[in-house]
Amino acid sequence: MNSEKIVQYIQKHCIADDWTLKITKDDSHETRFAQNVITQHIAGAMKEISLSVSFGSKSGSCTVNQDDEESLAYLVKTAEEIAKLAPEDPEFVPSVGKMDIPEIANCDPQTKALEPKQLVDIVQTSINKAKTFGATVSGLTEKHIETNALFTKNGFAGEYEKSDFGHSMTLKKEEVETKVAYEAKNFADFNLQILLEKLLNQASSLAVKRTFEPQKIAVLLRPLALQELFWFMGWMMDRRYADEGITPFTNQIGNPFFGEKFSWFSTCKQPTLLAPPFAHDGIIAEEIPWVEKGILKNLATSRYWAKKIGSKPCDIYNMFIPGEGYSEEEMLQMVPRGLIVNSFWYIRTVDTKAGEFTGTTRDGVWYFEDGKIQYAVNNLRFNEIPHNATGRIIATGISELANPISLLPPMLIDNFNFVDKTSF
Amino acid sequence: MKYLDLAMNAAEKFGAEYADIRIQKTTDQVIYLQNLSLKHTSNNVLQGYGIRVFKDGAWGFAHSNVFNEEAVLATVKKAVEIATLSAEVNKTQKLRLAPERSYIATYRTPVKIDPFTVPVSEKIDLMMEVARTMLAYEGIMKTVFLMILHKDEKLFASTLGTRLDLTTQFINPMITAVAVTESDSQSRTFDEGGRAVGWEWILELDLREKAKQIAEEAIIKVKADTLGAEERRSLILDPNHLGLTMHESVGHATELDRVLGWEADYAGVSFATPEKLNNYHYGSELINFVGDNTLEEGLATLGFDDDGVPGQKWYIIKDGILKEYGSTRDTALEIGLNASRGCNRATYYFNQPINRIPNLYLLPGTKPLTPGELIADTEDGVYIQGRGSYSIDHHRINFQFGGDFFWEIKNGKLIRPLKKVIYKSYNPEFWNSCDAICDERFWRPFGVVNCGKGQPPQTGRMTHGASTARFRNIRVGGSQ
Repeated sequence: MNSEKIVQYIQKHCIADDWTLKITKDDSHETRFAQNVITQHIAGAMKEISLSVSFGSKSGSCTVNQDDEESLAYLVKTAEEIAKLAPEDPEFVPSVGKMDIPEIANCDPQTKALEPKQLVDIVQTSINKAKTFGATVSGLTEKHIETNALFTKNGFAGEYEKSDFGHSMTLKKEEVETKVAYEAKNFADFNLQILLEKLLNQASSLAVKRTFEPQKIAVLLRPLALQELFWFMGWMMDRRYADEGITPFTNQIGNPFFGEKFSWFSTCKQPTLLAPPFAHDGIIAEEIPWVEKGILKNLATSRYWAKKIGSKPCDIYNMFIPGEGYSEEEMLQMVPRGLIVNSFWYIRTVDTKAGEFTGTTRDGVWYFEDGKIQYAVNNLRFNEIPHNATGRIIATGISELANPISLLPPMLIDNFNFVDKTSF
Repeated sequence: MKYLDLAMNAAEKFGAEYADIRIQKTTDQVIYLQNLSLKHTSNNVLQGYGIRVFKDGAWGFAHSNVFNEEAVLATVKKAVEIATLSAEVNKTQKLRLAPERSYIATYRTPVKIDPFTVPVSEKIDLMMEVARTMLAYEGIMKTVFLMILHKDEKLFASTLGTRLDLTTQFINPMITAVAVTESDSQSRTFDEGGRAVGWEWILELDLREKAKQIAEEAIIKVKADTLGAEERRSLILDPNHLGLTMHESVGHATELDRVLGWEADYAGVSFATPEKLNNYHYGSELINFVGDNTLEEGLATLGFDDDGVPGQKWYIIKDGILKEYGSTRDTALEIGLNASRGCNRATYYFNQPINRIPNLYLLPGTKPLTPGELIADTEDGVYIQGRGSYSIDHHRINFQFGGDFFWEIKNGKLIRPLKKVIYKSYNPEFWNSCDAICDERFWRPFGVVNCGKGQPPQTGRMTHGASTARFRNIRVGGSQ
């Protein structure tokens, strides 16, 4: 049954005062490889149909993945029964009404047309290259075509398709391990040879490793590392939690809470960046400055909280951090010494009110001095407050895609707080 | 079901050396209450089937949610096609499956009261009462009550002749109170991580009393002192806290797929490599870790894993020495094991199973010892209850953990509550520093239902357990 017919069924059979219908489809192909062997190979299509209904302010929901009439009847009956049993919700908001939905090119035809054989050929080429280097490679090659649709009784009707292609590689040779990854909506921008060259160069540069003690030191964080850190901070950037005094952003809107070299936007206008035209609750994607030249401009605001405080609902749907355009070589010359960090791992909140996080480095850390990389070092643990760290930004590079929803530059940050080291 | 035989016959006809089909219906009920606003109450039913084909040393896995003969055959064909593509790559380095016999069996999680039959209104009434109890305390700004009910109904068939009918389920109630002052916010959580039992557990828990306790402790915590600079101190860890500590630093480190490097690109690898088996001092002589997928009320007690291998019980660490791993049919032979330990599990029908942590627990101490006696025997330390911030490196060596509630110990007494405590350690220093474990009277199980691993990511579940234990000379301090 297609989306239109499912909507017609709900319109005909749902007797609730209000309803919201979500339909998600995902046609995917995933090839996992490790130690030069394909270990998993997965293909299939999925569909989920979710219905939320309300009688007055009493709400209930149900999700199924079958679209025959019997399943849809169960969907409607179950959601309605739950809603009737629920108490009145003091924070209820009705479903969104008709909206103008922006047209955003999120689905790339070339990505959509990728065949399993092409994906396996990419894996085979990667393994062959690793073998010639006397190494093993592990990774994931994947393709997803996802459709998201949202319909409400109040007239919202939106549907969009998005594509995703990814190829990641972790190379291991003796004690050296390092990773490169490409993930974007466009397959056309993928260049396996350049990615492999980058992987082997990284691996070669990690061959000589020295022990490095934890300390506060300048770091050049590459985009993959930064996006991991800033997304964790982004999950805290919620207006309600700030207003309730839970996070560090309490009463900070309009203030220079971040460093002046730091800005963060969600945008539909960067062609390589994925931008879902609407969120799960119908909030429309707009150009939103979250932080502009260090000033906290907005925090993600739910529809309920926006209504309560007389604001506009908004959602962090992607991350565009503009850069100053410095090259990595130029930034290395701006401080006497420091570390280059490829990526972070296992970031977790340490202190919610302070906005402090911990995590470790991964896939390559290099010590530089006098403008040049000197040698590789062991991995390190950090405890750091990202919004404070933006106040120590010395320079930023050229924004590049770290994943489909993150476009950001490498950053040179002073006095990054490393507190412990690993044995590798 | 007719599709089991249809799929297995087709797989053999298409040249599979081994194949299995897992028809799985997963039912979740999720109720999420924030303060007195019911944010989400949902019943979710996902059903479909996944077909694995093993051919020429490689896997192909295809899934579908369309139940008719044509779709089943097309899914088998797709699994065979992608297994054939994989086999081209694996020509010089084939995967191998450990031998296994066939089984015809049924397993059901023993429940006295099926939680899905308890009216939603009864659950919501309880949850609202718990929330009102916590919100009645001045200083509690936010409360959360998340109730998850989960049931998996599986029919499994393989070309070995195995036919399994498995129904497993769990409940997980989680309650959080957040206290806020002008300068800080702190939360306290009741979370036993889920248990494979029925609604009777919820009735036994007395959640109204738990609500009072966590609200009061959240208020104590937000006003508590911080510890200051990092120093080496003794740590006394309660069973709930130890559940996640062992999950991260022992459970994941002894998954054989990580040991082999199969998770190198994402979840990471392990320092506990095969040459360390039977000689590596992972912990002190008090440390005995058991893998046990037969554990009563265990979240990984499923009868059989998704390789069709029955639940087992074995030592992973004995008297402090690394003995074995959690393994699967496609990893066991790689290190010379004769058979799998039955740790291959998938979350939903559309997931290919992966090597998972079994129910894994620390055996209690053999000499009589209470937590009170352990505290009384400690001059300078910190007592940690519950789970907090957890971070460990991708080799499972260096870690930094927090907790949910903290007391400073001086001269054998709990002298003041603390907040923002973190400790840093690494394998094998941490488990070798254990010098006392309370006895079996104080052994408690704690579950994990959100163990993230794999690409695409899956959430696994398993139970851990321990008695309160002491660790000497650990770096403990306050956050920044």
